[in-house]
Amino acid sequence: MPRFFSNKRLILLLVGVIVLVALISFSLRDRHNASLPEQIVKDVVGFGQSLFSKPAHYITGIIGNVDGILNTYEENKKLKARLSEYAATQAELADVGEENKQLREIIGKKDNLREFESIHATVIARNPDQWEEKLIIDKGKNHGIEKNMAVVTANGLIGKVVLVTPSTSTVELLTTENQNFRVSAFIPGEEPIYGLIEGYDRLRGELVMKRIDSSYEVEVGEQIISSGLGGIFPKGLPIGEITEVSTDDHGLTKLAYIRPAAQFSMLDHVIIAKRKSATADGIDGGGTAGTEEEEAS
Amino acid sequence: MIQTLIVLIAVLLFFLEPVFSLFSPISYGGELYTLVPRFVIVYLIFIAIYYNRRRAIICGIVFGLLYDMFYIDIIGLYAFLYPLICYIAAVLIRYVYRHILTVMLLTLVLIALLEMLSYGFASVIGLTTIGLDEFMTSRLVPTMVANAVFVVMFDWLMKKMIDSKIFGLRNESF
Repeated sequence: MPRFFSNKRLILLLVGVIVLVALISFSLRDRHNASLPEQIVKDVVGFGQSLFSKPAHYITGIIGNVDGILNTYEENKKLKARLSEYAATQAELADVGEENKQLREIIGKKDNLREFESIHATVIARNPDQWEEKLIIDKGKNHGIEKNMAVVTANGLIGKVVLVTPSTSTVELLTTENQNFRVSAFIPGEEPIYGLIEGYDRLRGELVMKRIDSSYEVEVGEQIISSGLGGIFPKGLPIGEITEVSTDDHGLTKLAYIRPAAQFSMLDHVIIAKRKSATADGIDGGGTAGTEEEEAS
Repeated sequence: MIQTLIVLIAVLLFFLEPVFSLFSPISYGGELYTLVPRFVIVYLIFIAIYYNRRRAIICGIVFGLLYDMFYIDIIGLYAFLYPLICYIAAVLIRYVYRHILTVMLLTLVLIALLEMLSYGFASVIGLTTIGLDEFMTSRLVPTMVANAVFVVMFDWLMKKMIDSKIFGLRNESF
């Protein structure tokens, strides 16, 4: 078929398709470790990107401020109403905190799952084709960030770090459709009730907490916080509030829908929580996800 | 001079895309609408139609690769889609009258095509589980509306610049 081979363009297209399919399968296989060229590209593009996104944050900040000023009166009224309540809680908290410290000293317990070091970072980009819920932030390995660290805003947990390069990192949000994204969480109370945040219900816009022991009574309105038992996340990061309780597919455990405490749109500044006590490559991590995939394949 | 200008505009739009995607998804009336900025491809289609197909395709490969590496972490997806769209644009423009309005329409059709291809890919590798209906209402339509605004402004501006010979481009095919 001489005519077919003379068609240079077709050959070029075919070769291109083969190369790209190979590249795609290569990068799909190992998505949580950046190779050296990728790291270089990410750092260079990340630098350029931060030049653009920082002014953008500044402008949205101004708009937010104007919006805030317009709402000041309403907000002030509400806040005043809550102020007295707040003062009482504050006093109680100080008292309880002091007592907690003393008791810890008595039993000689130094490690605390709750303690974490916070690293502030600016969001420089959100994955523009929004199939995956990912953010890119302007802090990386050089600033002490490691894979699987928890990412929070002032309101609560939003996700975890999935990929680190020297000066940027990629954060996967809780609202992802990735089934391997799990967070160990619990409902505080006299008897803490543990479960796993697994998945996000797009239609409801709520997180799903699974594997709650069905012998416990779970009520709507209860707060969910991270348990710190996964090995990487600190304890006590607020996640959300229960809106509905039902039984899961197999009827063995309970399932709860959780309205997230944090907002997932218009994220600009985030905090990376670096746990102070020893960390392990546990459930919260991509490590287990990787092994599961391997087992499955 | 003209070469650097072409690349510079592409770089600018490349960096602007994720800045605009920070505003997305928009919630309106209890529904979440995802807007995907597709500025780079709008520009590349414009280059493919008015300037040089070859250059547009090369630009498409380079920016597609950067896009893949930095944002998507799946290398090869946009590095393939961008040049493909540029090529289709250059082929299709031979069959239609090259007026600014037809160019705008063609650009919008191609963005829809790109969006559908990327949806197809995302569902094949399991990045998303949304159905076709939801894709249409919550993603394709808002994306098209948002990009239509950009296409109209951008193409009009670029056409003005070409007509006023800032680029020194001849308004003809290669």
